[in-house]
Amino acid sequence: MAVVGSVHGGYLSSKLQTLPPVKILNTQKRSIHHRRPPTPPIFISTNLSHVNPIHLRDLYSSCNHSCHRFPNIFPDGRVEPVDVAKLRIALSHSSVVVSVFARPSLPENLNTGGDWYRKMIPLTPFSGELVGFGRAVSDNGLTASIYDVVVIPSLQGRGIGRMILQRIVRLLTNKGIYDIAALCSDEEMEFFKACGFGDDILGSTTMMYSRSGNDDDDMVKSAGRKLLMVPPLKLQRKINH
Amino acid sequence: MQTSSSSSSLCAIVPVDCIFNASNQLAYPCSFNLGLLRGSRNLKVSRLKAGFWESIRSGLIKNNSTQVIEPLSSPQEEEEPLPEEFVLVEKTLPDGTIEQIIFSSGGDVDVYDLQALCDKVGWPRRPLSKLAAALRNSYMVATLHSVKKSAGEEANNNKKLIGMARATSDHAFNATIWDVLVDPSYQGQGLGKALIEKIIRALLQRDIGNITLFADSKVVEFYRNLGFEPDPEGIKGMFWYPRF
Repeated sequence: MAVVGSVHGGYLSSKLQTLPPVKILNTQKRSIHHRRPPTPPIFISTNLSHVNPIHLRDLYSSCNHSCHRFPNIFPDGRVEPVDVAKLRIALSHSSVVVSVFARPSLPENLNTGGDWYRKMIPLTPFSGELVGFGRAVSDNGLTASIYDVVVIPSLQGRGIGRMILQRIVRLLTNKGIYDIAALCSDEEMEFFKACGFGDDILGSTTMMYSRSGNDDDDMVKSAGRKLLMVPPLKLQRKINH
Repeated sequence: MQTSSSSSSLCAIVPVDCIFNASNQLAYPCSFNLGLLRGSRNLKVSRLKAGFWESIRSGLIKNNSTQVIEPLSSPQEEEEPLPEEFVLVEKTLPDGTIEQIIFSSGGDVDVYDLQALCDKVGWPRRPLSKLAAALRNSYMVATLHSVKKSAGEEANNNKKLIGMARATSDHAFNATIWDVLVDPSYQGQGLGKALIEKIIRALLQRDIGNITLFADSKVVEFYRNLGFEPDPEGIKGMFWYPRF
């Protein structure tokens, strides 16, 4: 998908100011933003080839996010890093992939003096650092599910996650898909609610397969920390044509 | 596109970026840097070189790696579940006709048959083109057909769609099961259960561990018996509400 809506601030103003106001090419309602710190200059891309799976894995690790719903958690609270090969497969089969890049943060002593040129480098997916991500899987007809929306902790609360979600939703509704679901844990629920998601209109219950089995008797497959039981193969008769 | 000395290290950005970014349609034109930094002092130039070469180097590394994802899947992987077809149930009706219920996955589903089935269970109608697209792009579509063979007659292809379930997935971590339906006159025989179990089996074989579905209140018990848990560990499903 082509790059849409690049964001770059007006850097002709002096570096002594705080972050300059961001000129966003797609219009956003500014009134919501005055209670929250301003959105930093970012580059939003919907192009899959801009995503480097290794950087994405590191982003997930720094956000302590796992692709498994029931992840293995190490004793210090960190989740197991995601497998890059599986991540690559998942990305190639996601209908919508939104990645957000920001300028790599400068070490403090370089902020004054001769390093002003660094801010002049145009922010692109190749010069910027991956700071936010979101993806959606859909059947390109009726339904879609949103997964793995993350923003690095240092840039959270500034409207980036909301932008990611709005971009995903817009791309899906442009294709005519209006049945958009997102699985979220308790912490993420506030975020999704604030972005316009709510409980199902039809009152359906979200259910996940969680039947576990023991390793010895039943056939089990591991999914994070759960050992899910594979339903047994019943007697079948192949058709002889 | 040769790079010579100091200030032309700035020019080096232009061709390199253009080479690697040709396919990526960058919003920024490649010649952006040219006018700005030509007049730099030597000190700044040397720092410039370090800074720019770092970014070029990292850009080169990123672009040269084999980690660039293509939207199409690689051929050596087994992408779709292997299509299966087998007789699930066979019974003889009182009038001598043999009825077979055939499970099939990965087969083509006629959207008109499917719409007729949806009408039978009382679901609202959905645009046929969207239905067809959804079926085409689902990870797995499992169907049940009923084939009746009258005793005495040989070729009697009376094949009727009586059940369907489909799942969408990203082929690696997550899957969602949608649109599970069984013809009302065939319900209560364990056919729905067979459909779901088959799908779960196929998903777990591919190590797809997050299997989700959104159940109507009437069928929550049905799925609970199949091993699904409502709102596990506080995970909820939320839906997008269009705001006009």
